[in-house]
Amino acid sequence: MIMSEFWYYRESKEPEAKKFMENKPEPDYDLSYSIGERDFVNTGKASSEIKLALKRLGVDNTILRRVAIAVYEAEINVTAHSRGGNIIANIYDNCVHVVFKDNGPGMKDINQSMEPGFSTADEMIREMGFGAGLGLPNIKKNADVLHIESQEGANTFLELVIFYE
Amino acid sequence: MNNQKEYFHAIKIVKENCTGCTKCVRVCITEALRVRNGKVELLNDRCIDCGKCVQVCPFNAIQTSADKLSTISKFKYKIAILSSSFAGQFSQKINYRAAKKAILQIGFDEIAEESMVTEVISSFIHDYVKRHPKIRPIISSKCPAIVRLIQVRFPSLLPNVIHLEAPMSALAYYFREKVRKEKKIAPENIGIFLIVPCAAQVTATHQPEGTYKNLGDGAISAQDIFREVMGKLQKKEETEKECDVFPKGLTWAISQLEAEQINSEQRERARTMAVSGIHNANKVLIKIENQQLETFDYIVMDNCTNGCVGGIFNIEDPFVASSRIKDMIRKGATKEFQTEYFQNLYHDGKMDVLELKPRPITALDSSIKNAINKMKQIDEIIKKLPGLDCSACGSPTCRALAEDIVAGKASIDDCIVLMRRNRQGKKL
Repeated sequence: MIMSEFWYYRESKEPEAKKFMENKPEPDYDLSYSIGERDFVNTGKASSEIKLALKRLGVDNTILRRVAIAVYEAEINVTAHSRGGNIIANIYDNCVHVVFKDNGPGMKDINQSMEPGFSTADEMIREMGFGAGLGLPNIKKNADVLHIESQEGANTFLELVIFYE
Repeated sequence: MNNQKEYFHAIKIVKENCTGCTKCVRVCITEALRVRNGKVELLNDRCIDCGKCVQVCPFNAIQTSADKLSTISKFKYKIAILSSSFAGQFSQKINYRAAKKAILQIGFDEIAEESMVTEVISSFIHDYVKRHPKIRPIISSKCPAIVRLIQVRFPSLLPNVIHLEAPMSALAYYFREKVRKEKKIAPENIGIFLIVPCAAQVTATHQPEGTYKNLGDGAISAQDIFREVMGKLQKKEETEKECDVFPKGLTWAISQLEAEQINSEQRERARTMAVSGIHNANKVLIKIENQQLETFDYIVMDNCTNGCVGGIFNIEDPFVASSRIKDMIRKGATKEFQTEYFQNLYHDGKMDVLELKPRPITALDSSIKNAINKMKQIDEIIKKLPGLDCSACGSPTCRALAEDIVAGKASIDDCIVLMRRNRQGKKL
């Protein structure tokens, strides 16, 4: 079975981001959600609530926007492409670390999925306005760290970090 | 963290009338009302003047304050600018032109209508939308309650709000200059009054937020003008003065028609949408924040049902008024209003407005560390509260009570459900 992995660090944030990823300290606050397979009615709830929590902390608007987009895209991915899964948002006083774990079926080739326009979405998902193949590239654009691990036939793990400054 | 700025509000609380029933507390989208010691209090930095509390109060304890008609006497030359929704207030038996003419008999020297310029301003909006392809969707700014909702709850969307003058502001600008030139009257002697359908427009006239430069001298409630006009019409007093009507441009009274006008057949296609009602607008703004509506070019958003026809100062209900206005638009002759002046204003950048600034209310503390601690304390309190969101404590929800407790503005003893449980040994 082939496992594939993808790492991205935003250049300007690389030193502190790497330090964070190595230590992964205990979060100051956390939120968790479970996502049902193709549960489009509730999709967006996790990203809205995570965004609201950061609003309550007084996190800057431009950062909020990036968190909203990245987390929402990843949430949609779990809803549309997997057998469901869960989301954990670890909140710190300088950054937010969001982890997505699904129950499969896994991705064949992550690097191919990172290319804008590539999509495995079926007709139903496209009709709902999703599956344009911009999800992962959009997450990367908004995140300071993006790490994905996947195995075809198994599951996908995605984590992202966004710093407040 | 609270904003120190004093906000003007066209909503006033009359404490003597308040019974502490909390109906208003539950309906407020920005959680700007609390009942403390049996009386309602308005949190000034949170209120967006949407007026939902005024509509829901059974005891007339929350009232609006528009400018009185008598204030126009301070000016030598008086101009009324009518909101398009005003045309929907009169039954079929009353000719709109006659009703408009009667306004000249109650003390105004000249009358203008929003409908004169809605078409030309729609063309500017269309142009603005095409010139800003990276911002999607662009959100309308005509409704002051929506602008304020975005400032307090969705500050990240302020760049999406169209930064252009609304029709009534543009008309105020035009008439002040025209009268100064043609009648040789000093600008300070010219009184320009907006005849408005809602409290938010009164607030916008007295404390404009970027989008509305202070162009009007006052805002009079459509209800007051309606009453005066009906008085004149019943007396059958005729005036020799004449006035034109512009029925084709009445579109902006109704959110849906305003959106359709931007995407009219004469223009390159623009994908538009209309949302009305403050709670609906709030839901759509959450979607916009999540970038779920980027495929839309322009979204018209209004506080009231169906748009300005739903304003709380109107006499007629929004559905009847909408039907009448649609009829007037369909049957009405096209009356051209010269738009060259406005074209020049637009191209000279004079229709641009100041940058809208956030008025955030959501942050719990000015330091993120402290805010995290408060969030934990709030969670602990929420676990103890019954979760009924009954508002009997005077805060809108259990969460809001928890926030108020952590902010030192309320106590857990305010929860009467808990109090009863404690007395009954947790049997409830």
